[in-house]
Amino acid sequence: MPEGNWRKGIGGRELAELGAPISHCQMTDIVKLFAVAFCIQIILGALPAGAVDFTAAEQRKILRHGPWPPPAPPDPSNRVSGAPAAAAFGRVLFFDTRLSVSGAISCATCHRPETGWTDGLARSRGQRAVDRNALSLFNLRFNRWFGWDGAQDTLWAQNLRPLLDAREMGIGAAGAARLVRADRSLSCGYRRAFGAAPGADDERVFVDLGKALAAFLETLVTGRTPFDDFRDALARNDAAGQARYPAAAKRGLRLFVGRGNCAFCHFGPAFANGEFADAGVAHFAGSGRADPGRFGGIRKLRKSPYTLLGRFNDDPARTTAVKTRHVRLAHSNFGEFRVPGLRNAALTAPYMHAGSLKTLADVVRHYSTLDEERLHAGGERILRRLDLSAREQADLVAFLESLTEAEPRRDGGIDTEVPPCR
Amino acid sequence: MARRRQRGPAFAAALALVLAAAGANACERPQDWTGGSKIAGKTWTVWWQSAPAAIPVGAHFSLRFRLCGPPVRQVKVRGWMPDHRHGMNYRPGVTLAGRSGTAAGLMFHMPGRWQLIFDIAGAAGREKLTAEMVLE
Ligand code: HEC
Ligand code: HEC
Repeated sequence: MPEGNWRKGIGGRELAELGAPISHCQMTDIVKLFAVAFCIQIILGALPAGAVDFTAAEQRKILRHGPWPPPAPPDPSNRVSGAPAAAAFGRVLFFDTRLSVSGAISCATCHRPETGWTDGLARSRGQRAVDRNALSLFNLRFNRWFGWDGAQDTLWAQNLRPLLDAREMGIGAAGAARLVRADRSLSCGYRRAFGAAPGADDERVFVDLGKALAAFLETLVTGRTPFDDFRDALARNDAAGQARYPAAAKRGLRLFVGRGNCAFCHFGPAFANGEFADAGVAHFAGSGRADPGRFGGIRKLRKSPYTLLGRFNDDPARTTAVKTRHVRLAHSNFGEFRVPGLRNAALTAPYMHAGSLKTLADVVRHYSTLDEERLHAGGERILRRLDLSAREQADLVAFLESLTEAEPRRDGGIDTEVPPCR
Repeated sequence: MARRRQRGPAFAAALALVLAAAGANACERPQDWTGGSKIAGKTWTVWWQSAPAAIPVGAHFSLRFRLCGPPVRQVKVRGWMPDHRHGMNYRPGVTLAGRSGTAAGLMFHMPGRWQLIFDIAGAAGREKLTAEMVLE
C-alpha cells in the first residue's frame, strides 16, 4: 500500500473501502465497529470490487490515462539527450548560483526539489519578480511545448530562457560561456558531456548548457501512483486490485472522465493533451497588463533563434519540427495557457499560470463555479459551470490526489554513477 | 484508439452508382493503395488515407488524397469539432499535383467528434467534402 498524500484524512470507513491488507486493518481505530466489520470482510475476501462500477465506455476512457510510464525515447534535437554524463553535468548546472548575475540565484531557487520542483509562490522571484507561477519539472520529456505560453518548442530552449531573462538569472549567453570556460570543474563536466572542451563560439557553448540541463531534467519522470495500480488492475480485469482504490477516488475519476469534461484537455497518460486552452482564469499580469498567454507564446517562438527550425537543432532531418512548422496563430490564442499535466499536482501548489488558486480544492471549486461569461464568446464549448456538491468536489480532489507518486525523486533520479570531475 | 465512423458509406455507394449511371467517373480506390476511405460529393469524390491509419488523439498525422472529377485548382484541408466549435491548432501544409495530394501537420488535439474537411476549388466550382469520425 503506497503512502501517498492522497491518504491523508482517510477515515476508518474509507480505509476499509480501500480493501486494505490486514496490517492496515489493525491500524484503524478499532473503536469504530463498522470499520472492523469491513476489515473482517476483506480478510474473508468478501469485499465487492468497490462501490463504483464503471461502464464499458468509462473503462475505455480510464484506460487511455495509462500505461505509466510511457516509453521515452531520446530527443533527437539534443545530441546528449539520454546520456548519463550530460545529465550529471546538467544536475551540477541546475544548482549553480554562479549562473545568475547576482551570484545568488540558481534554477533550484524557483524549482526546489522538496516542493515538487516549484517554489511554492504564486509568482516566482529571481533577480526580480516574474509574472508567472513556476511550472514543476516532472515529466517534461512528454511535453510538446514548454512554458505556460509554449514559447519554446524544446526542453533545451526552455532552459536557456531564465539565463537570458534579466528578471530570473540574466547571465546571458556570453556570461555563461565565459564561466564554463574559466571554471575547471565546469569545463571538465562540459568535456565529459560533449566529448570536447567548450569552444570559442559563446552561443554554441550556451546552447549546450541548455542541452545538458535538458538531459538532467528528462530524468524526472514520476513514479507509479495509486491511480496507475487501479488502471492496470482494470486492464487485467483484476477485481481485488481494483478494490484497493478508494471509493472516493473512483467517484472522482467518474466525474473526471464524465460530467466534468476534464479529460478533453487533461488527456492521456500525463493528463495533458499538450495544447492550450482558456480555463477561465483571469490573466492579469499585474499593474493592469494582461498576459497574452499562447498568443504571445507563438509570437515569441517565431522570433526565437532557439527553435527546431533554427541552426541549433542537432537532428539534420528535423523529425520533430512538424509542430513548429505548422503551428497556427489565431486571435483565440489570446489568454490561453498550456494545459498542465496533473501527475504529482498535489505537490506543486499554488495552481494556475499566476498561482491564483492555493489548493486542489480551490481548483475544483473554480471549475464548479466557473464564470462562463469570462470564457471566450463564440469560443470553445467544453467548460461549463459544473455546480458540484460538496461531496462531489471532495471526490474530485481525492481522485487528483491519487495521481501522486509514493516517493517523489528529489535527486533527479540519475542512477548511473558518473566519475566526478577533478 | 481511433474508432472511425465514416458518414453514410451506403449513401456514398448509392451516389457512386448514380454518378456511374450518369457517366461520371465511378472513382475506384487508387490502384496503388490498400485501405483508405472515400467521400463522394456532387462535383468531386475524394479518396483519402491517413498516416498512421488510425488517427491518434493529440499527435500529429498526415494524409494523402486522390480526387476524381473535373480539374482542381486548390485543396484546403481542415479539422473541426462541431460540438466544441473549434478547429485545429495547426495549419496543415497541402501539396497538390494534378488530382493527387498530401496534407502534413494535422492534429486532432482532443477526443470526441471531429470532421475532416476537404475544401476543393476549380473551374467547376467549390465543394466541401466532409468525413466525420469519433476519436476516443
Ligand atoms: C525566477 C524563478 C525561476 C528561475 C531562477 C528558473 N525558473 Fe524555470 N520557470 C520559472 C517560471 C515562472 C516558469 C514558467 C514560465 C513561463 O511560463 O513563462 C518556469 C518554467 C520552466 C520550465 C518549463 C516547464 C514546462 O512544463 O514547460 C523549465 C523546463 C524550467 N523552468 C527550467 C529551469 C531551469 C533549467 C532553470 C535554470 C537555468 C530555471 N528554470 C530557472 C521560474 C524560474
Ligand atoms: C478546456 C480545457 C480544460 C478542461 C476541460 C479542464 N482543464 Fe484543468 N486546466 C486547463 C488549463 C489551460 C489550465 C491552466 C490554466 C491557467 O493557468 O490559466 C488547467 C489547470 C488545471 C489544474 C492546475 C494544475 C497546475 O499545476 O496549476 C488542475 C488541478 C486542473 N486543471 C484540473 C482540472 C479538472 C479537475 C477539470 C475538470 C473539472 C479540468 N481541469 C478541466 C485546461 C482544462
